[in-house]
Amino acid sequence: MTRRELLSLLFSLGALELGGVLDAPGADPKTAPVFQLKTLRGIDFVLRNSPTSRKHLIETMPGGIALLDYNNDGLLDIFFVNGGHVRDVMAKPISFDRRNPAYWNRLYRQNPDGTFTDVTAQAGLADAGDSNYGMGVAVGDYDNDGFPDIYVTSFGKNILYHNNGDGTFTDVTVKAGVAGGGWSVSAGFFDYDNDGRLDLFVTRYLDWSVDKSKTCGSERPTYCPPGDFPAITNILYHNRGDGTFEDVSVSSGIAAKQGHGLGVAFADYDGDGFTDIFVANDVTDQFLFHNNGNGTFTECGLDSGAALSESGRRPSGMGVVFQDYDNDGLPDLLITQLPHDPYVLFHNDGRGSFSAQELEAGLGVLSGNASGWGVGLEDFDNDGWKDAFIVQGHVFDNVETYDDSLRYREPPLLAMNRAGRFERANPGSDLPVAGRGAAFGDLNNDGWMDVVTTSLGDAPQFYLNRGGQFHWLTVTLRGKRSNRDGFGARVQVNGQIRFATAAGSYLSSNDKRLHFGLASAQTADIEIRWPSGIRQLLRGVKADQFILIEESVQP
Amino acid sequence: MIHALLWMCLLLQPQSAEPSVPPDALPLVQSGIAAENRGDLEQAIAAFRKAADLAPASEIVFLRLGDAYMKRHDFAAAIPPLQRAAELSPDSPAVHQLLGYALLTQGYAAEAIPHLQAIHDDGALGIAQLQAGHAAEAVANLQAALAKSPDDPDLLFYLSRAATALAGQSLDRLRSVYPNSARGLQALGQTDFEMKMLPQAAKEYQQAIAMRPDLPGLRLELGQVFAAGSDWPKAEEQFRGEAQLQPGNAEAAYRLGNALLQQGKMKEATDELKRSDSLHPDMPETLYALGRAAAISDPDVAEHALLRAIELEKDTPLAGQAYLALAQIHRRQGNAEQAARDMQDYRRIQALTARPQS
Repeated sequence: MTRRELLSLLFSLGALELGGVLDAPGADPKTAPVFQLKTLRGIDFVLRNSPTSRKHLIETMPGGIALLDYNNDGLLDIFFVNGGHVRDVMAKPISFDRRNPAYWNRLYRQNPDGTFTDVTAQAGLADAGDSNYGMGVAVGDYDNDGFPDIYVTSFGKNILYHNNGDGTFTDVTVKAGVAGGGWSVSAGFFDYDNDGRLDLFVTRYLDWSVDKSKTCGSERPTYCPPGDFPAITNILYHNRGDGTFEDVSVSSGIAAKQGHGLGVAFADYDGDGFTDIFVANDVTDQFLFHNNGNGTFTECGLDSGAALSESGRRPSGMGVVFQDYDNDGLPDLLITQLPHDPYVLFHNDGRGSFSAQELEAGLGVLSGNASGWGVGLEDFDNDGWKDAFIVQGHVFDNVETYDDSLRYREPPLLAMNRAGRFERANPGSDLPVAGRGAAFGDLNNDGWMDVVTTSLGDAPQFYLNRGGQFHWLTVTLRGKRSNRDGFGARVQVNGQIRFATAAGSYLSSNDKRLHFGLASAQTADIEIRWPSGIRQLLRGVKADQFILIEESVQP
Repeated sequence: MIHALLWMCLLLQPQSAEPSVPPDALPLVQSGIAAENRGDLEQAIAAFRKAADLAPASEIVFLRLGDAYMKRHDFAAAIPPLQRAAELSPDSPAVHQLLGYALLTQGYAAEAIPHLQAIHDDGALGIAQLQAGHAAEAVANLQAALAKSPDDPDLLFYLSRAATALAGQSLDRLRSVYPNSARGLQALGQTDFEMKMLPQAAKEYQQAIAMRPDLPGLRLELGQVFAAGSDWPKAEEQFRGEAQLQPGNAEAAYRLGNALLQQGKMKEATDELKRSDSLHPDMPETLYALGRAAAISDPDVAEHALLRAIELEKDTPLAGQAYLALAQIHRRQGNAEQAARDMQDYRRIQALTARPQS
């Protein structure tokens, strides 16, 4: 019997014991909605992408969300990235009217009563640069001062906002040297050299500009496919530790590969103690950058089995999450893509290799004609298995005129994980939206994971978890020798694994706290392998609590 | 394509003058032929035109003039002198041939048909009939031409076009005469499916099945509509119905197996694909799907099926996909060396089949 089979069996036995709970009146897990779609008082953000008749490609790609606690009051705040004002004909100098408040990025502070207050202006986040069309966001405490910093990606220049710790931010992009350029999409903080300082990875989509923009389609104009534009490299910035970063894209080997990068996610897939990088590419081989542990990376997607879908096709990779869906202790990859092929699931087979197993996992039935973007693997029902939530919506705003079976606006996909196989579940809303970003976190600190999504031209959606009776544990890491956020740590709780990161999904940054569903268990054993190499073990930790774990100073 | 056929035709040989030319025009005709022999078509045409003015009742002079225009690829200009030649010599095969070709190149397919019939040129006649909308006759004549010139690429091309046109005409007739019959609805469903109007196509097929539940093929086609919309459970239901209706139909078994595969029902898919393989061995798509379905549960069966697919497909993209699937199996087995060899083959085929990026 394999470990996976054993785990499946154990799950089955556990489910039998819990039959009474699962069968409680009104709580049929097959049909009961998991979430409630709600509006959150005080949040008035609208993602303004400005669709034009010229179909400039940027206008169908935003926008990101970050769930972060910027003021360390224990409540998650929400940051939204806005697009900008695009016109049919863009005169030079290019302006996306980002000084117009309608096109601002927005930071909403959560108040103790669950309402939100727009603090964008007072936090110093109103100016996103007139020539920058907003895309995504990454969050991390790059200077280890205890306050999360914000990095915003754009078509144009990216911006690093340093959190001053007093509720305000300062644009330190120039000093830090992380403006990038071109069309940046997703980004994430991680510590690739385990020096205790967060580095920064930025995906770039393609070599596009207003001058190079073109329209495809004849009678019905639409957005051109990525292959119509040259591929481009991604960017890796190394944190020097003095508030500045060095662009090491070339020396690290990251720039050796050109693609059409969109999503990015991090995990140590081969257990060598160094965080690896996965880039979801649009209609190109997916990139798996293996961290060689010496400051360089080797792209090994194809040879590792993590480049092509189960049918051997190049996925139109959009969003990606790098977590362990089948509880075998190894991080797997779930990648969203455009219709007609299932979302791709690369199962980590060990020995540094993956195999596409989306069909075995049931995704062939769930995703064939949908277009996926933001994605998360989170345990929404706290049964000990990570479920999938995917926000959906086609690229073309006129796709119905091309193909009657496709939709520009789609409801999200919620797929509950039943011992490694996904089954469609009721997300609590069938509201169709042109979904793009998705961020995951426990917004109301009730121990049940919530979801925030963005959709083009619309207000965001808030999927608040209705909760249940299973137990949970939420872990906050505080690194000492490792980076303060603990990003890159491998945390095992009652046999489940999470790789500490806020990155993943599409354009978005998740709650950095690590959430575990414990099913019926009332205590948990926690084992942490920090990026520093230190291992830490906590036994018999009481369930249903938020626990802060500081890195042990002793190996 | 028509031009390609014209190059095959025997144009007039320019070596010698014709004995039937009136004496006063003969020097001009000889001068024109000499110019043709030198490759000076302009000079030849000028000489033949002057000869035609002097000998307005000479079939051969107008034929020479039309022929010279044809050689210059000026088919429009060739038509009037050739028509005059046809008036003067209604039974001349050479005149019919050149005039038929000239009219065909200019899109006057219906006018070309009697001339091509006169010379029994099945190939050109078939093309003209296809263009004139006589698809059934075109199919017959193009098949006759292919019997004389097997595997001629132009004839094969036009035969496929004619067969498609004939199918379309037959369906149009069916739809107009029996629009609400099962076959009429099936034809409508096929059209809507091709136009990606999947819900409408599904509705028409379902109506057809309700009328004639025993009709083979309806469920197979409806299943493909659902498959195109990635509605695999419904596709499975239809393919299963077809497989029950036609237990000896390998395609129905393959499509059912594939629908099961897409749903991750690997054991059932493997069984059905094996059944399809036994009904119609050596179908590469079936073998590839079998390789995917059995990859985890029965890697030996999967490997065998994929190797057979590769043997059949050689260096096609499907063979590349089969190597990729083999690499997955070998990686999972810990056989890194074999997986690396599989990937080398995959890359080799990728390089062979890669299309340049736009």
